[in-house]
Amino acid sequence: MRIKDSFNSAFDSIHHGKMRSALTMLGIVIGIASVIILMSIGQSAQDLIISQVQGVGSNLVIILPGGTISGKNSTPSSVAGIVTKTLVQADVDALGREPSVSQIVSAVKGQAPAVYGDNSLNAAYVGVTANFFSVVNFPTKEGRQFNQNDVDALNHVAVIGSGIATTIFGNVDPINQYMPLGNVEFRVVGVLSNQGTGSFGAEEDDVVVIPITVAQEQLLGINYLSEVIVQANSAYNPTFVQSRIESVLEQDHKITDPTKDDFTIETEQDLLSLLGNVTSIMTLFLAAIASISLIVGGIGIMNIMLVSVTERTKEIGLRKAVGATNKDIMQQFMVEAVVITFLGGVIGITVGAIFAGLAYLILSHVLSTGWTFEFPLSAVLLGVAVSTITGLVFGIYPARQAARKSPIESLRYE
Amino acid sequence: MISVKGLKKDYLDEETVTPALRGVSFDIEKGDFVSIVGPSGSGKSTLLQILSFLDRPTGGVYTFLGKSIDDMSDKELARVRNKDMGFVFQSFNLMSRLLVYENVEMPLIYAAEIDPARRKKLVEDAVKSVGLEEKLYVEAGRLSGGQKQRVAIARALVNKPNVIFADEPTGNLDSVSGAQIMQILDDLNSQGHTIILVTHETYTAEFADRIITLKDGLIESDKPIKTRRRSKEQFFK
Repeated sequence: MRIKDSFNSAFDSIHHGKMRSALTMLGIVIGIASVIILMSIGQSAQDLIISQVQGVGSNLVIILPGGTISGKNSTPSSVAGIVTKTLVQADVDALGREPSVSQIVSAVKGQAPAVYGDNSLNAAYVGVTANFFSVVNFPTKEGRQFNQNDVDALNHVAVIGSGIATTIFGNVDPINQYMPLGNVEFRVVGVLSNQGTGSFGAEEDDVVVIPITVAQEQLLGINYLSEVIVQANSAYNPTFVQSRIESVLEQDHKITDPTKDDFTIETEQDLLSLLGNVTSIMTLFLAAIASISLIVGGIGIMNIMLVSVTERTKEIGLRKAVGATNKDIMQQFMVEAVVITFLGGVIGITVGAIFAGLAYLILSHVLSTGWTFEFPLSAVLLGVAVSTITGLVFGIYPARQAARKSPIESLRYE
Repeated sequence: MISVKGLKKDYLDEETVTPALRGVSFDIEKGDFVSIVGPSGSGKSTLLQILSFLDRPTGGVYTFLGKSIDDMSDKELARVRNKDMGFVFQSFNLMSRLLVYENVEMPLIYAAEIDPARRKKLVEDAVKSVGLEEKLYVEAGRLSGGQKQRVAIARALVNKPNVIFADEPTGNLDSVSGAQIMQILDDLNSQGHTIILVTHETYTAEFADRIITLKDGLIESDKPIKTRRRSKEQFFK
């Protein structure tokens, strides 16, 4: 029997049993659509997370005070809550002489109540040098950023996140309003564009950005730094820049054993790689859960194909009487199962794409960030391959049952 | 062409053995028209099923074109059914959702590679030979009983078989349609086809050259017909 005849027979059978074929396909459609939707959303989420990390600025190296607690890749002690004072202005000056370094942002962090009228919020603030806005790509949507003069003159100016602007100021335009933060009153000069949750802090729309000099001297009373952000010179390889920073700081801190470094260096590459791995694993995990529905769909196919074999016993007998071999009958039913699951897969991919598009519309509206529509080709190929394999796997048993039928008993079947 | 010696068939039902054929012997030559008759339970349908390779005997020897059924695999039996045998059933066994063309074409899709143009010609010729060329692209389910049986005959003819097995071909038809079917079978025999017919109707059986009468799984008589019915007009006599 030619394969073309098997396909003709399969399409004829599907055409004449439209409702049954549709119900058979449904399980596969749901399974494939689920996998496609999750893979699409997973890919979009991965892209969003990575773009937000990249949005902080390209070629960035973050230096945190304190070494790691238990090895090179473990948590920095400063992140773990241990106050360390090992990162100071002298380090920034030393790094400033390094040719592979392009820009340096010094930062301190703290938390204090921000008040306007009857509204208040326990706000996270960051004291930074004036180049912070350009280096970490924090544009303002209203007003202005503060400049080096503001930093040098200890001006009480603040740029606030869009979340704080809404929470504290409500409908009032915050520009040039005065807002006490802790025991110091600041004049709001700018509002940041929406940032969402990013790498720089927990919720970057709720952060208050003030000159580092004011934060160090008047709010915190410290002379050390919480973080130094280095922008690598684009002419140099980031790995080389990282090693240069390590050398400069070890030299500055008179450290001879690299395992005893009192600082931790994190690069954007490390973070991107880690986030990429985490989101990929999550996407695959979710897709694996969704694929359970494919198994359920496959069992549905096997069930309905078995019913179909019984219903078509007389047809099987007739085909055998006119010369069909067991292999011919097996081929016919296998092709039918594969055609049904393949069509189910194609419909599932289409349905998945539609729902992924709807998810994009909803999520981009709800998150108000750069949520993109992703429809990975790998998901399409996976959908087609998995649906076809499902047909092959779950079509074998009914096809074998059909092939094994005795021609004379099949012809007698009523 | 067909040689049967001591053919036996027992049906096993749990612990009960029911003999359907208890030692049947005869020969059929190419071009013969043989009727197998007998009362219900005489074994005539069982005999036809074995002769047409749809079932295997449990004893005796059956050779078809010089080769014993015992020496053939199921795949070889299927090949012989496809190449050398045609079937006409009492209940037509057409696929009603398929066109007349598709029903008649069915044996050819299991045959060795035939190019599409030749396949089409074979189908058209077979359908024309039973006078249904105008119904070629009509769904089989829309035809009358007589037309359905003619389609079944066209399907039996399409692969140009050596022998046509007909199991009660007029059993579900009115007398006019039955007469037409017997006329077609008679014409096919005149063209050289071997016809083996199972029937319980004496007047239908008398279209053959020879009648084998079975009773209780044994041959009661095997004799030629002196005045063979030769036309549909004689069907009613």
